[in-house]
Amino acid sequence: MSDTAAIVAQCEAMFEDLSFTGVRAWKAAVPGRKVVGFMPFYVPRELIHAAGALPFGILGGGDQLEVIHGDAYYQSYICRIPRSTIELAVTGKLDMVDAMLFPSICDVIRNLSGMWKIMFPKVKARYLDVPQNFRADIGGTFYRGELGELRAMLAELTGKPATDDDLRASIRAYNANRRLVREVYAFRAAEPWKAPSSEVYLVMRAGMVLPVETHSKLLADYLAAAKASDRPKRDNSRIIVSGAFCEQPPLNLIKSIELAGCYIVDDDFMLVNRWEQSDVAEQGDPLAALADSYLRDSADTAAKYEPDQARKGRYLVELVKKRGAEGVIFAAPSFCDPALLERPMLQRVLASHDIPYIAFKYAENSGQMQPIREQAGTFADSIKLWS
Amino acid sequence: MTVTAGIDVGTGAIKVAVLDVAGEQAKVLAKRVERVRQRDPLKLAADTYDQVLAEIGLKRGDVAYAATTGEGEALAFHTGHFYSMTTHARGAMWLCPEARIALDVGALHGRAIRMDGRGKVLAYKMTSQCASGSGQFLENIARYLGIAQDEIGALSRQADNPERVSGICAVLAETDVINMVSRGISAANILKGIHLSMADRLAKLVKTAGVAEGDIFMSGGLALDSGLVAAMEEAAAKEKLKARIRCNPDSIFAGAFGAALWGAYRHDKLARLAERQAA
Repeated sequence: MSDTAAIVAQCEAMFEDLSFTGVRAWKAAVPGRKVVGFMPFYVPRELIHAAGALPFGILGGGDQLEVIHGDAYYQSYICRIPRSTIELAVTGKLDMVDAMLFPSICDVIRNLSGMWKIMFPKVKARYLDVPQNFRADIGGTFYRGELGELRAMLAELTGKPATDDDLRASIRAYNANRRLVREVYAFRAAEPWKAPSSEVYLVMRAGMVLPVETHSKLLADYLAAAKASDRPKRDNSRIIVSGAFCEQPPLNLIKSIELAGCYIVDDDFMLVNRWEQSDVAEQGDPLAALADSYLRDSADTAAKYEPDQARKGRYLVELVKKRGAEGVIFAAPSFCDPALLERPMLQRVLASHDIPYIAFKYAENSGQMQPIREQAGTFADSIKLWS
Repeated sequence: MTVTAGIDVGTGAIKVAVLDVAGEQAKVLAKRVERVRQRDPLKLAADTYDQVLAEIGLKRGDVAYAATTGEGEALAFHTGHFYSMTTHARGAMWLCPEARIALDVGALHGRAIRMDGRGKVLAYKMTSQCASGSGQFLENIARYLGIAQDEIGALSRQADNPERVSGICAVLAETDVINMVSRGISAANILKGIHLSMADRLAKLVKTAGVAEGDIFMSGGLALDSGLVAAMEEAAAKEKLKARIRCNPDSIFAGAFGAALWGAYRHDKLARLAERQAA
């Protein structure tokens, strides 16, 4: 068993490596291997895995990447993740990517899929549409068809059509991974002083560049090491961070929230790791199982359509109760339409349940953390002293 | 009886206070201020804390709640951390129950904190990033003039014809001072001019934060500067602020006292919650 520091250092090295050395090494290890990049917030990674390719999560360039070319493609009122993703691509940092998937999260990412096809014609690019109707006979049928098309595209890419047995094996691998992800989150909520969010974030983020089996081992090792660690418990406020499901906050922002006296007991940073809330069925038609899981058992977020207005924001209230949280910090990327349009509705629901909240915006390259510390610190104080 | 500690890690000085708190009553068991002087502030804070505890025969384990404030959140041994506004408001209320504005003037910033009768922060305003209204600036000027820090206040109060300096930019203010020295302006008039400029800026902060009732309590290191306090009284009159300017020999400990008092409050609250959960 390793200690948490060694595991976290390994994850941080992967996080900072914008050449994605590990992904390149995986591809180079066996001739003919393919890498399939994807953007937040969700793709059915099982299909990529079953086709023998590596699902590679691309979450922008973070705060270490200077965006020069990327700015030329977007207006000033567009968020930073598409700019930095283009910057990564045009500077050759994504030249090992054989195909790109763009999930249906917002107009900007949808349009990026079209731009990708024009800019990088040799890379297969697909806009992944997801159901907006949650009836099995409508949305389910639609999504199963979408998954079938994706399966065919991946078969063409890898030359290895994934059989149903391959898919079921991949579902098992990802179910195992998601169980560990849930366990890490549950442990952090129970003993947040032993699993700081800045660490959990890096461990979760490692899953974007590692094969699922390797990531599962990493999660298990981290969990064991965190449970065995001896760290002092602080009198911190327990909060949930909401709104950061696409463009990721800088690591320093997460550290600043924690330093300001908050324990983050849940968040939506790396939603793809736990999109499915429980195991996907490992028997029967695997595409139908994945579609069914999306309809019935997927996480709630601003980018997912909620047909029942009465249920809007209920998930956040339920999460607050489940995690024993004392407040919510809405942290959303600047110009993020899904998060910022959803925010007032979520705030109204929280207010109606007397759950305190604050809100601020960030960009993946935000460098000035004093205002964040100030807001998070005073929020933590107000919870501790006046709630 | 609950023994709690407040450790206020400031830019210029570390302030440590150990209190014995019983309900609404609190007694100072020990306190110490230690100037940072280019030392590692976190190590200095930890060492000062241990020394203060040793003075009264206590160890870290005897303290029910060690609360940090200021830049002290990275101290490994703290039980909880409170933001500076929260602690200065509480400390000001304890030292001066009539206070409804805590005016914290430290080495790097000045801030006006408006609170209610419970010490709850209602609003606050802070000086912008320039250091011209800060203690560090005043200290630098005094050093250029060859004046010891504890002489500044008395000298300033002897001024008969003060000249104001820039209240916006430390670089411009330093240029103003150099010009004054070359024009033969006395040190007393220069210092008073700086005090008046700082006080003008601070009074505007107070006005923006909103003062409807109660007194203005000066906390932080510069509350001990009698020249600045006198200038603040003049500036408050000029701005037509009805509140009185108050301070205390222990004003510099307001943040540390506030942290220790909130620590005691949290210690009791957590104990009550634990009892309720056990029941």
